[in-house]
Amino acid sequence: MTIVRTSLRKLLQLLTVLSVGMSAAAAQYPERDIEIVVPFNAGGGFDSYVRALAPYLERHLPGDVRVIPRNVAGAGGRRGTTEVYRARPDGYTIGAFNLPGVLIPQLQQQRVGYDLSEITWLATLSADPYVLAVESASPVQSVSAFAERDGPILYGATGPGSTAYVVTTIVNARLGTPYEIVTGYTGSSDYLVGLLRGDVDAVLVNLAAARPYIDAGDIRALAAFGAPDVTTASAATDALAAPELAALRLVRMIGAPPNLPDDVRTTLERALLAALADPGFADWLASTGNAVSPAGALETRDTVNAMSNFYTTFASLLN
Amino acid sequence: MLEAISQAGLAFLGLQTLAFLFFGVVVGLVFGVIPGLGGTTALAILLPLTFGMDVTDAFAMCGGIMGAVAMGGSISAILLNAPGTAPSAATCLDGYPLARQGRAAEAIGAVAAASPLGGLFGMLTLLLVFPLARDIVLLFGPPEFFLLAVFGLVSIAVADAANLLRGLTVAGIGLMLSFVGYDAVNGGIRFTLGSDYLWDGVPLVPALVGLFGMAEMIALSVQGGSVAADVRTARLDGVLTGIRATLAHWRVVIRGSIVGTVIGAVPGVGGTVATFIAYSTARNADPDPDSFGTGRIEGVIAPEASNNAKDSGALLPTLAFGIPGSAEMAVFLGILVLHGMQPGPAMFVEHQAEVYGLVLALTAAAVLASVVGIMCVRWLAWITRVPGAILAPTVIAVSLVGTFAIETRPGDVVLAAVFGVLGYLMLRFGYPRLPLVIALVLGETAERGFHQSMIIGRGDWSVFVGSPTAIVLVLLIVLSLTWSIVPWRRRTARTGPEASQ
Repeated sequence: MTIVRTSLRKLLQLLTVLSVGMSAAAAQYPERDIEIVVPFNAGGGFDSYVRALAPYLERHLPGDVRVIPRNVAGAGGRRGTTEVYRARPDGYTIGAFNLPGVLIPQLQQQRVGYDLSEITWLATLSADPYVLAVESASPVQSVSAFAERDGPILYGATGPGSTAYVVTTIVNARLGTPYEIVTGYTGSSDYLVGLLRGDVDAVLVNLAAARPYIDAGDIRALAAFGAPDVTTASAATDALAAPELAALRLVRMIGAPPNLPDDVRTTLERALLAALADPGFADWLASTGNAVSPAGALETRDTVNAMSNFYTTFASLLN
Repeated sequence: MLEAISQAGLAFLGLQTLAFLFFGVVVGLVFGVIPGLGGTTALAILLPLTFGMDVTDAFAMCGGIMGAVAMGGSISAILLNAPGTAPSAATCLDGYPLARQGRAAEAIGAVAAASPLGGLFGMLTLLLVFPLARDIVLLFGPPEFFLLAVFGLVSIAVADAANLLRGLTVAGIGLMLSFVGYDAVNGGIRFTLGSDYLWDGVPLVPALVGLFGMAEMIALSVQGGSVAADVRTARLDGVLTGIRATLAHWRVVIRGSIVGTVIGAVPGVGGTVATFIAYSTARNADPDPDSFGTGRIEGVIAPEASNNAKDSGALLPTLAFGIPGSAEMAVFLGILVLHGMQPGPAMFVEHQAEVYGLVLALTAAAVLASVVGIMCVRWLAWITRVPGAILAPTVIAVSLVGTFAIETRPGDVVLAAVFGVLGYLMLRFGYPRLPLVIALVLGETAERGFHQSMIIGRGDWSVFVGSPTAIVLVLLIVLSLTWSIVPWRRRTARTGPEASQ
């Protein structure tokens, strides 16, 4: 019944767009439904993550309110992020953020419509390390073996300026071997298939996306950044995994508009952390191979600042 | 494998599961009929509902929607020349002329017969090739994507030999429109007029709603009258004729189904192109290709067979690699993940029963949608007799609301209106509209495929004949060019002297 109610509500919402209820400041937050803006289309990996989390967030929030994910896709996540940034800081609109996806355009001085340093950060959901992977049959057995190859190494990535592209550029700046990036893949699953097919020699990809292929023995991880404990098939993390490259992670966070009142922030932060620790959510994570690395508001803010500093040091490579 | 299939079949016999299947079919039909909405929207709206359902029920409902949407979309394509969903656009070509001749019921009968047959064909093929799914998906790399897009574009060029120049002009405009937005290869932002709205390019669905639905309604209001020119001869009893015609043209059904299954499996190319290629294949194989577009029943049968066959094809990349074969599949992918299934190499091993269940649901839905469609045909065909003064404002309002509802972006409504006017002008001055749509869909795939191939091949053109798949595609392109241009030349040579006398 409640499920039917949620859907009906979602439908009504679609048709009537937005209810601009302006209740008095939260004396007893929350007193109505909370919306999580997901800056991607329904059905994507991040969308599924937020949707799977939402019921547990409802369970751990005080009061009887719903948490409704809303997809505001477009412009590589900027549209949704801008919408959260501009929303009323009352705790009824929060947003899902993927970093460095929305951070890089801001650092590239693009006209993005938001400033991540002003966002009220609530919690970190997951921090997924990057792995450098080659096809299983590839003769290359270690990162240093790349240097001995003739000609540039082909990497697959999404468009220039995208996370995959920037990460590939930064890692190769350290590697120092000639490389070339085949851009235009539509996402990580797309360039992983490109790797299997032999379009490209190597990819830099987040572990969650690569894991099914590593487990199936289709690809080999040569290096994993910032995750020494990753137990991949043959994760020979060699000298390349310089400590600062540990910042190369795909981090999913929850944030709220700037100037969110402290009590509301605390309520949301507690509920989020409790939801992430809920056994029911853990079951979902396990069955889908998704990762979780919960962190609270302050730690999340520090992560954002650290990432921002890290990518700023590579500013010349960003554009 | 047989055991898994029969298990899946048994799971579907539950009353609750059947109820969800039926519910999905009804939703699919309704969302299919309304231009602008469609399977993607239906799935996105119902996505939260699947949360509390068990996997079999969720798949029954999703299968119901995906299997039925095609039927709904084609009904509006035939009755209003406004495809309810993008893949139904090809059905307009001969379906609408049939409706204008008062033979709407016959066309719908043909849809009702061809859809489930196509679906059945797609399902059987899928069940056979499931073990090879990976290898099939891996056959298509950037060079093959480029060639496939070229093949699609070539089939526009040759689809209407009499209008060759106009068709090519429109396709050229479509290509230019497809380059709007973020350039995934070089990273630039192109032709967005400084607005964020066009960052992701010209959105297909609002463009389609304008180009077909609104344009047609504008034309209808200007002309006056109703869709079926002569109200008294609008026959409502042609369903059986349509079904019989489909069975008689079984070759057309099979060809359409093959095209649908194959093209459906290629991500990024998708349904719109599959139905269109099925249409031009039927046309090229016909002894009298010029009569297509004037109301040939084969022109409805071929795209319809491929329309339902393509869903089975689209499942291959979706399940094997998590790469959606179509927009609907992208949402469906999310439903899979919500239910704790990770598409990928292990999918076919770990979740075999669920996969077969979904395929069965898709097929059952196509059959069920046909039955519902046939039962409603009497009332549906009546739409063609509604005076334009009532029909036009209703359809325009409903499709604009539908357009807005998808993403709640005001820009979509403006874009639909602009394309509505453009579509009307094209209609008024005799320019075909489908080449624009096909070029809009394929432009990005072609451009990206070309750039990627050139980087991968290190600038060497031989990359385009570097695999057996690529060679087959090159041959197909050459064949379809000669196939249609040669007879066209011969005909002009034959009729030329007569015309000058």
